[in-house]
Amino acid sequence: MTHSRFARTAGWLALPCLVAAGLLAWYVTRDPASPFEAEQAARFDPALVSRGEYVARLSDCVACHSLPGGKPFAGGLEMATPLGAIHATNVTPDRDTGIGHYSLADFDRAVRHGVAPGGRRLYPAMPYPSYAKLSDDDVRALYAFFMKGVQPAQQANLASDIPWPLNMRWPIALWNGLFAANTPYAAKPDQDAQWNRGAYIVQGPGHCGSCHTPRGLAFNEKALDESGKPFLAGALLDGWYAPSLRADHNTGLGRWSEAEIVQFLKTGRNRHAVVYGSMTEAFNNSTQFMSDDDLAAIGRYLKSLPGDPQRDGTPWQYQAESVAAKLDNPGAHTYVTRCASCHGLDGKGQAEWMPPLAGATSALAKESASAINITLNGSQRIVAAGLPDAYRMPAFREQLSDREIAEVLSFVRGAWGNHGGAVGAQAVGTLRGHTDPASSSPIVLHMR
Amino acid sequence: MNTPVDSPLGPLGAPVNLSRRRFLLASAGAAAGALVLGFGLPLGSARAQAATAAGQERGTQVPAFLEIRPDSTVRLLCPFMEGGQGTYTAMAQIVGEELDADPATFLVDSAPPGEAYVVMENGMRITGGSMSVRMSYPTMRRLGALARAMLLQAAAEQLGVPLGELSTEPGKVVHAASGRSLPYGELAERALDLPVPDPASVQLRDPSQFRWIGKPVRRVDAYDKSTGKALYTIDIKLDGMLHAAVQHAPRLGMTVGSLRNEAQVKAMKGVHSVHQLPGAVAVVAERWWHAKRAVEAIQVDWQEPGNDSPLRPMPADFSSDAYRERLASEQGPARDEENEGDVAGVLANAKTKVEATYHNQYLNHAQLEPPSALARFNPDGSLEVWLPNQAPDMFRDDIAKRTGLDAARITLHSPLLGGFFGRHFLYDSANPYPQAIALAKAVGRPVKLIWSREEEFLRDVLRPLAVVKFRAALDADGLPVAIEAVSATEGPTEALAGKQGDKIDPTALEGLSGKAYAIANKRIAQIYVKGPVMLGYWRSVGNSLNDFFYEAFLDELADKGGQDPYELRLHLLRDNQRLTNLLHAVGELSGGWKRGPFTAEDGSKRARGVAMASPFGSEAAVIAEVSIENGQVKVHDIWQAIDPGSIVNPAIIEAQVNGAVALGLSQTLLEEAVYIDGQPRGRNYDLYPILPPSRMARVHVRIVESGAKMGGIGEPPLPAVAPAVANAVARLTGQRIRSIPLSRYTFT
Amino acid sequence: MELRINQKTYEVEADADTPLLWVIRDDLGLTGTKYGCGLAQCGACSVLVDGSVVRACVTPVAGVVGREVTTIEAIEADSVGKRVVAAWVEHQVAQCGYCQSGQVMAATALLKHTPNPSDAQIDAAMVNLCRCGTYNAIHAAVHDLAAQQEGA
Repeated sequence: MTHSRFARTAGWLALPCLVAAGLLAWYVTRDPASPFEAEQAARFDPALVSRGEYVARLSDCVACHSLPGGKPFAGGLEMATPLGAIHATNVTPDRDTGIGHYSLADFDRAVRHGVAPGGRRLYPAMPYPSYAKLSDDDVRALYAFFMKGVQPAQQANLASDIPWPLNMRWPIALWNGLFAANTPYAAKPDQDAQWNRGAYIVQGPGHCGSCHTPRGLAFNEKALDESGKPFLAGALLDGWYAPSLRADHNTGLGRWSEAEIVQFLKTGRNRHAVVYGSMTEAFNNSTQFMSDDDLAAIGRYLKSLPGDPQRDGTPWQYQAESVAAKLDNPGAHTYVTRCASCHGLDGKGQAEWMPPLAGATSALAKESASAINITLNGSQRIVAAGLPDAYRMPAFREQLSDREIAEVLSFVRGAWGNHGGAVGAQAVGTLRGHTDPASSSPIVLHMR
Repeated sequence: MNTPVDSPLGPLGAPVNLSRRRFLLASAGAAAGALVLGFGLPLGSARAQAATAAGQERGTQVPAFLEIRPDSTVRLLCPFMEGGQGTYTAMAQIVGEELDADPATFLVDSAPPGEAYVVMENGMRITGGSMSVRMSYPTMRRLGALARAMLLQAAAEQLGVPLGELSTEPGKVVHAASGRSLPYGELAERALDLPVPDPASVQLRDPSQFRWIGKPVRRVDAYDKSTGKALYTIDIKLDGMLHAAVQHAPRLGMTVGSLRNEAQVKAMKGVHSVHQLPGAVAVVAERWWHAKRAVEAIQVDWQEPGNDSPLRPMPADFSSDAYRERLASEQGPARDEENEGDVAGVLANAKTKVEATYHNQYLNHAQLEPPSALARFNPDGSLEVWLPNQAPDMFRDDIAKRTGLDAARITLHSPLLGGFFGRHFLYDSANPYPQAIALAKAVGRPVKLIWSREEEFLRDVLRPLAVVKFRAALDADGLPVAIEAVSATEGPTEALAGKQGDKIDPTALEGLSGKAYAIANKRIAQIYVKGPVMLGYWRSVGNSLNDFFYEAFLDELADKGGQDPYELRLHLLRDNQRLTNLLHAVGELSGGWKRGPFTAEDGSKRARGVAMASPFGSEAAVIAEVSIENGQVKVHDIWQAIDPGSIVNPAIIEAQVNGAVALGLSQTLLEEAVYIDGQPRGRNYDLYPILPPSRMARVHVRIVESGAKMGGIGEPPLPAVAPAVANAVARLTGQRIRSIPLSRYTFT
Repeated sequence: MELRINQKTYEVEADADTPLLWVIRDDLGLTGTKYGCGLAQCGACSVLVDGSVVRACVTPVAGVVGREVTTIEAIEADSVGKRVVAAWVEHQVAQCGYCQSGQVMAATALLKHTPNPSDAQIDAAMVNLCRCGTYNAIHAAVHDLAAQQEGA
């Protein structure tokens, strides 16, 4: 299966064309400063390694740097971009093909600033604009984990197949100057420790904004913290619409309690929703491993982000609907025959096992990509606490035409008070061409 | 449970969930001790051995087949497996006709393995190839007649009257002179002690006097199957039984390396134990749901197959689409199955030549019942296995080979099949019973193993893929004078048994070969290409693809030569009265041949196509009517005339035609097994859709009894469906259809 | 948890997310309800919950606590179900029979709610898969039942 989750690279890959020469060469090739410059090979006590492993969980490194069936962190995940494929690199401590020769300062520059030894700029598919906020302690711990907790694996990195001159990387440095943070997270004195911990994880290691914050023309996240209104306001990326994580009633977490946010991140499900799309990878590999305190902090922080009623629209309220009386509507007909067994004729789903479609963000957001994508391709298996899910969403791409999917989603997005709006067959066709069905087998990525 | 010792259900007792009706009958019989023309004797029992000692002819060991109970119900142990095709009912009709017992009074079960049940004229015992009725018809009639003779003899002794004064009415012996009659149930015990009469001595009924053969007799299993009472392997329960689920290697041939989280899985709720098996891991649990969830949770490091793998390893980069391209580029060498006249010469000199390349797709069986197997080792070391199968003796022998047990110590039960379509033959890598047996042995308790739907789609054997290159020559009148078909393919038999030297696997080419059209110069050949996919038999086998190729290409020839395809077929069959009649019959059934395009009453534009096939000893002709609806092919009607020579049950034939049409439409319209990176893309019905009710066509059937040698019925109505639909679509859209499924085409 | 199945009360020990199908089959031993896909694709596991058809393979058992479940084993205790079974026998619908429990349940649910269904209602209700291809016989049986009702 091709991994297309990093189509986000598209925007900034166009930069080499846009940015002409004339900017200072030193700027684009310099090594950023690291506070670890003077620090010699640290002692890696097991506690530090294990703390680093937890930071790696928070940061979800494994999602990109490991492949199913491959050696942990040996790299290889293909990220399709319109200009060509790039591949996540080997970050095991192998000296030849991995990062075994990295000093702590080298490691820091790569993780927090996107600069590899020798000044080579990383593509910001590596979310260093968020990792920039990692604390020094966490970087040190992370380094200890990658040096001592990960087995060296000899596996050469795959070259990108992006052609010259688009493969020149120095313009990325300019992009970094404009869009990437360059200081670690600083606690807000007017907020308590729990809030600050939540803010740190969400903005930094958790890099939630990579998917949930809308991006600007240069594919930059429009805000990197709560000071900007677009922060975590929902964004379209790689065929999925990552909904708002703000208090938006319809398209965000407005109807969720802090406890429900915690439940969602811990178990993959709550009464409002079940993780799907790209969030499955984040859940399977990262959020479920977070401590209860950290999850509570995330809940606390996210619930502090105000919604935007203007963007969010009329607050959704459940409205009863007699689906059975609408069988002459082809969308309703398809709903009854294909969807109702799980999601119910009333659209309310079944407890936390099958999510409700009534009031679902995918049925209220203007962006219909998630609704289309999950219908075409089904859900990836959710693996919670080592146990694959009892129920999964089937893929309908082989059974329903573009038109039929458009009809049923238009019905769903207009029923039970939903007002996401109609879906066009063309949008379905476009996504069909760009996506692949989810595997019915659980995919578990290993860190050790 | 109070089951007789010599019950085929085994010495230790029956499954605990025998249906109530069945149980009552069984225990009533046992308690009364009165039944008894045998009790379905497993071979080796004294009674059956005595019977074989005489070196009898096939199907004459009456006690092995029949048990007549005190209430005169007749229990028949059927040599054939019932999987929907109606063989239990057909056998009840055939035996009942001669026994003089109403088929409605029959209770039919599958017979255990054993020489006694080899009743087909070809000496085999399989349920497949549409052979059951046609190959055993005279033998099974004679069996009924022999049993009737024994009952008559018993009655003569009991009543003390001369045999010649007795006759029978359904279920009883009648002494007309005295007005006395004895129900069969009261005669059974005495009849048992009699020797089976000389098979040559019994007289079969005059077919003109048949009461049940040839009539639409009701299925013996209709009620049980409408009320959930019918038992399939997946339903059988034994006391003390555990449940098992497996996770197979993602590609065949891979082996189990290490289990990363075995301890965690063992600790999961309900889990009894975790096991490593060849190419799979298994969890045994108190409930299947627990086993299934736990086995899915096992993180296995799968190892690539070694060079010594006994299996056909699936390459990591295998793609079915790429493989088809490879077949298309195969240059040979080819081996001829048919070569008549001078194909090369005629083609070289022809003014009008037609060339085209056709292909089909891999298919799964996709029967609704996922495979399962239940195994129990008895305290005496003997083994009992319940499993779906189409050939019990082959399965028992295979189990003997695998376990080292003597075949006599293995009891094999064959419950109803929840569909088969070729799925339940002996496929080395695709059956769950070796795993169930290994697990039962390991845990010391009976184990029922069910393959989840996903595991089934991962290990099912596939219907073969072929790329066929046609060349043909037309004469000045536009009539075909030479045809050549070279198929790059592997047949299922050669895939399973290995390539047999220079011999051509008939299942590879049937349907290209054996065509009845009078084309003087023809060559049908195969380029054998051993593929990486394990292949199997799929309803109508080679015909399921090859008749599509041939009959669709024949329409191309008709169009090129300016001929009407129906008239062209009539012309090419002008010396074949049977097929001419059949073609007329289907034309008439459809209201007279009209090709279209025409506008139907509902305003849709439609066209019709025709095609024929000669599979499994029968002849079939199909006309299909299609339109395009929302870019999809809509098949409105299928008219099928079928000539199996002579018949046993017209209602079941009509049902079989319906079923074969459904499967034929499924493969024509939408079904295909796609492999990417060595793995099937569809592992459930979501990504491997099968024909849903919304895409079924109306089916109109005409049975033609030409009186020719009896042919098959389960498979013959399938092959002509695809080409008839393809030909109709080509006519309607002007787009040539050279491959299936049609879901790969875009229609506007 | 306490379940009401076929007018009987059962005390069942099962996780809340266990599919009703496996509780019915393995805990209660009612094997007439079939496993076909586990993914709500085929309908072989159809049962009635409060008179409406559900696919038991995608019904977490916790969701039916306090509701009345009817399986194929009790279908003839229902007057509509009894008629459906009779029609199934009359039309000789079954071939292999594996999907037919589910088909009978689907038809019963349809006719209980809509004694005289339209074609569209029949098409929307009778969507269970049948690999043997009994669709036309099913269609005929359901139409027959609908017509009987109309005449009654």
